[in-house]
Amino acid sequence: MNIIELSEPLHEIIFFLLELGVILGSLGVVLLTNIVYSAFFLGLVFFCISLLYFTLNADFVAAAQILIYVGAVNVLIVFAVMLINKPQSLKLFPSWTIGDKITFLVCLSIFFLLVTIILNTSWSNITLITESKNFFNFDFTQNIQRIGYLLLTQFLLPFELLSMVLLVALIGAIIIARREILIKITEKKKVQIKKNPTIF
Amino acid sequence: MLEHVLNLGAYLFCIGIFGLITSRNMVRALMCLELVFNAVNINLITFSNSFDTQQKGEIFAIFIIAIAAAEAAIGLAIVLAIYRNKNSTRIDQFNLLKW
Repeated sequence: MNIIELSEPLHEIIFFLLELGVILGSLGVVLLTNIVYSAFFLGLVFFCISLLYFTLNADFVAAAQILIYVGAVNVLIVFAVMLINKPQSLKLFPSWTIGDKITFLVCLSIFFLLVTIILNTSWSNITLITESKNFFNFDFTQNIQRIGYLLLTQFLLPFELLSMVLLVALIGAIIIARREILIKITEKKKVQIKKNPTIF
Repeated sequence: MLEHVLNLGAYLFCIGIFGLITSRNMVRALMCLELVFNAVNINLITFSNSFDTQQKGEIFAIFIIAIAAAEAAIGLAIVLAIYRNKNSTRIDQFNLLKW
């Protein structure tokens, strides 16, 4: 079923390494004090998740994940962090308040609830049901060809709307981030400088 | 295999929610939001790999990636504008919203 044919113990080892990278990286994103470190840990998490997509037969999404998340979003976040933040205290982990502890307990209980639900659901029955319906299968050999076919036939309207959303987000981000106030202030100063010689 | 990946998605979602609630820096809140998006993507791709024959889940994952990129651009622009006005990015010190 997998594209990359691997033996079972090798597959387990690769999956264990990726899971370790994701777990430690996300802990580093949330818990570290220095935000530059957490931005780089976020890049590690994105990279491990894209390798995980390769093991899940989704090669196009893995390439898109590397291009968009690691290449664009993470670079943007690192840029914003280095523009904004001054280096702060040397302490590696921040101290927790009572609200943080309550939130930790709530999130831990949500996590255990989700894990018990996942482990108690019988997934094998669902696979049997769906594989019996498996009559009209598109006979494209490549995963990417199938995705492109579906994007331009069945999902054409959301695809075009998505391009509109990206255009609107681009223009909105430029308009919000433009420094309009400073330009106004400098214009006022120029006007004052021009007025001052007429007073004297 | 399926349960392992679903547990990983649940872990990533919970730690993203935890960071989103407890972080005092606005950029870190945006990073935790990206973690939550990635948890959703992992779940979609796992289910489309196991149960679906047409890979529709991958198309939804691509849509989510595009929306997340737009959201990151807008969010960081708002953070830059607020930093220029207030000279800090701490969430608990904002009193900009009047309503």
